[in-house]
Amino acid sequence: MSALEHSFEHRELKDPSFLRFIFGNPAMAPLWLLARLYLGYQWLLAGWHKAWGDQRWINVPGPDGIPLKNFWANAIKVNDAGTGAIKYDWYRDFLTFMSDHGWYHWFSWVIALGEVTVGVLLIVGAFTGVAALAGATLNFNFLLAGSASTNPVLFILALLIMFGWKVSGWIGVDRWLLPALGTPWEPVPGVLEERREHPHPQTPRFGQGVTQS
Amino acid sequence: MTRATALVLGMLAWAGVAAVAVTVVNAWQDENQVLAFLPILAAVVVAWAIGELVTARVFAAHQREVK
Repeated sequence: MSALEHSFEHRELKDPSFLRFIFGNPAMAPLWLLARLYLGYQWLLAGWHKAWGDQRWINVPGPDGIPLKNFWANAIKVNDAGTGAIKYDWYRDFLTFMSDHGWYHWFSWVIALGEVTVGVLLIVGAFTGVAALAGATLNFNFLLAGSASTNPVLFILALLIMFGWKVSGWIGVDRWLLPALGTPWEPVPGVLEERREHPHPQTPRFGQGVTQS
Repeated sequence: MTRATALVLGMLAWAGVAAVAVTVVNAWQDENQVLAFLPILAAVVVAWAIGELVTARVFAAHQREVK
């Protein structure tokens, strides 16, 4: 066996038991529920302000997305010392490009309705990992644009919920949705080729949890 | 028929959670963030109970009949 094969051999490195308990045990589901509800409520509230609030970004008389345009303008502004809210030039160029092309009109819809969707999905626990990823992406972009606010806390919380995706939606729609759709370790028969080649004697039961024996 | 009813009931329960969350946010917005948590949590508990006590039991009973 060569040194490369020895170093990068195909084997799975197991997580410590306490991490598996925190991120993969249904006993922790109530804790994840609280984290999920808090994060979901914050996103729903933020999206609600942008979509239907007094200072809303969209569905206003006149062009949509003017607050987003102003947000971008402040973010990409460079002061006399040559610095600004954004530290990465490529991100400043990215926002400048979007602003110059008037993308704030439709991007404000994406952000406002995206935040509402992320909030609702987290609260009901449907596609929890994906919703947390979408939320974390929004936080990440707000942080890159120089807006701290609650974003660091929400970002970390979203990452934790993503890591615990198997149980974070356990008290929620994911309990039924993930097994019904077929998760990587419990596929719907006929979806994966491996399944056809090596059929499992038992068809997954409806409602049987992904980690439930 | 029973299974379809149980499934629809379970789906409606979680749709109800979403409805409660949206209603609470619309009503209270930034005020009473702690109090707003309670009706949402209560709706989640009800939806979870319906899923465990009704939907799951109906499907488990059907599974036993099939076997």
